[in-house]
Amino acid sequence: MASAHRSQTASDREIVVSRTIEGPRRLVFEAFTDVTHLAQWWGPNGFTTTTRAFEFRPGGVWDFIMHGPDGADFPNWIEWRDIVPPERIDYLHGERDGDPRAFASTVTLVELGTATEVTMRAVFKTKEQCDEVIERYGAVEGGKQHLGRLAAYVVTLVSGGG
Amino acid sequence: MPRAATTSDAFNAIAEPQRRRILTVLKGHERPVNDLARALRITPSRASKHLRVLRKVGLVRVRGVGQHRLYGLDASGLKPIHEWVGGFEQFWSESFDRLNEYVQELQQKENPGGIRS
Repeated sequence: MASAHRSQTASDREIVVSRTIEGPRRLVFEAFTDVTHLAQWWGPNGFTTTTRAFEFRPGGVWDFIMHGPDGADFPNWIEWRDIVPPERIDYLHGERDGDPRAFASTVTLVELGTATEVTMRAVFKTKEQCDEVIERYGAVEGGKQHLGRLAAYVVTLVSGGG
Repeated sequence: MPRAATTSDAFNAIAEPQRRRILTVLKGHERPVNDLARALRITPSRASKHLRVLRKVGLVRVRGVGQHRLYGLDASGLKPIHEWVGGFEQFWSESFDRLNEYVQELQQKENPGGIRS
């Protein structure tokens, strides 16, 4: 395992994913700040995005559609809340403006010599929100539809590949 | 450090990164605890503690083979997590892979051949 995962105490309503990126923090941060950059990497393999609005500032919004490899479209709506270049970005992530199921996410960038550790932490309002989402996902529908569909796609890959 | 609360459900149990790594390692095949500990570079006693939590929430099962106890994934317990958290992590894991490649491109465009210190 080459990537330097830090040990984090994730509470029962958080999900944390981290990865070491080979490049200076300044550039990694830059990749988050402009839609021409984001379009090049945001989303899993095979996904593309179409942006309807983008303004990178606290209170600004990224309104976009993710296109899955199977042709399915998933609306996304991100509102940037706090931006501390080049180390932290806080945002709300939902499907649309006012989405009651939107959840808070924080991206933190830590310098590791010439590399950068990126950590994405999603925080749900309550443990019940997590549980609710899990239950709903049994049927692959509802709130985080883009993630549910994606999960179904991943499950297909996993079961197909053995 | 497993706490009592982490055994309440599978979602709680896998909030801990080391336990997620255990599931990844067990995905391919069953392993005895020492094997698992070595693969993850943690102590066997720490691995045992994590396995106990994972068994309680139905993510891992154990069977005895001779004198050995082999731990493996319990697919049924994994299902809701696979469908949701697995997807979520997969999303970010793959995004970060792409980000990594893209940052290399940016770096080369900006400063061909050079390395910042």
